[in-house]
Amino acid sequence: MKKILYALLATVSGVVLLFSYRTSTGAEIPTSGTATHTAGTASGSTASGTASGSIASGTAAVKDGVYTGPAESNPYGQVQVRVTVSGGRVTAVNAPQYPSGNGRSQQISSVALPQLAAEALKAQSARIDMVSGATYTSTGYQQSLQQALDQAAR
Amino acid sequence: MSVGPVPRVWTASTMGTVASIRVITAGPTPAAVEPAVRACIAQLDADDRLFSPYRAESAVSRIRDGRMPLVDAGPRVGEVARACADARTATGGLFDAWRDGWFDPTGYVKGWAVEQATRRWLAPLVGGRGVIAVGLNVGGDMQLLTADDADWEWRVGIADPRLRGDVLTVLGIRGGAVATSGPAERGAHITDPRTGRPAVGLAGVTVVADDLTEADVWATAGVVAGPGDTAWAGRPSLRTVITVGADGTRRVWARGTPVTVGAAGPFTSARAAG
Repeated sequence: MKKILYALLATVSGVVLLFSYRTSTGAEIPTSGTATHTAGTASGSTASGTASGSIASGTAAVKDGVYTGPAESNPYGQVQVRVTVSGGRVTAVNAPQYPSGNGRSQQISSVALPQLAAEALKAQSARIDMVSGATYTSTGYQQSLQQALDQAAR
Repeated sequence: MSVGPVPRVWTASTMGTVASIRVITAGPTPAAVEPAVRACIAQLDADDRLFSPYRAESAVSRIRDGRMPLVDAGPRVGEVARACADARTATGGLFDAWRDGWFDPTGYVKGWAVEQATRRWLAPLVGGRGVIAVGLNVGGDMQLLTADDADWEWRVGIADPRLRGDVLTVLGIRGGAVATSGPAERGAHITDPRTGRPAVGLAGVTVVADDLTEADVWATAGVVAGPGDTAWAGRPSLRTVITVGADGTRRVWARGTPVTVGAAGPFTSARAAG
């Protein structure tokens, strides 16, 4: 169960925070790779004015719509993350592809994913740059929120 | 379209963990930044080679094994040994590099080395050619700087020691250091040097201070002291202290003053004092 949770957290956090950082600096969401974008019906949000030297919170020039990340394999099957952007903010995170080969996987997907999505969204709205926690090892870093933040900023 | 502050991130495996370096710029990254980042990482690596008890040829290992006396280990090791002795005195034995019967400065070095490398290589970048802020986070302990005239603050999330992936609160810090200590560190209990037994009662202690060396020493000492002995949190040099009990109890001090946690929840928002 732990492996699925960590893989999902990295995937969800990485994708969600990727969008949050691009959002807050006003840069384009990258469309390279296999991520696809379906335009939403809402009109695009306007960029909020920012004083130089400060990071905008929330709204920026990001097209509303649904972004689907590439399907990733983990030992339990395929995991794919779909992110919905509305009003320049991530409003939903779903997993259209999720390992469902057995009852345990389905139990995890119905409980863990919404909770992990909520945690990732909470970190996004808090605009975190750095995370302080009890010292992690290299392995611990790979599963950490700091790693997701570092990846999102690249 | 105006572009706000842009973060550039470097990561490197060092000191048995991963270092995250973040440089915030108002425009293109100046040429001086990349070499400074590399030199910063190289210094962390050099200190790891010198101090790591997991490396057979480190000065610490050779001292421990009796192959080299401390006095022959060079000025950097000597400086750390003196500082560890001072820290043992200042913390009343809560922090003790000799707790296991041999000289193990690991607990001191991890904060000290990060502060040293930041001040030597990253601090000179700040305020020059559009560099707004710099920060080095190694294994969850960090030293942060911001240019005096910059409208920027570091947003530091404090990890919930009891729930991986969750964040207790976010502190806004322009310059200073944040260190967190707890039994989750490297998977082992923190030992109380006074009794030789594991320190219990606190899941985590976070300290904000000007210097990471000090924040790290007191975060470690705080875990050892436990929930029943929090007089140390009143030290005026400790800007913010957060303790999380094994039972989830959260306490906060700002500049030595206890802060009552609000009824709306354990944390709504908390700003680092000073």
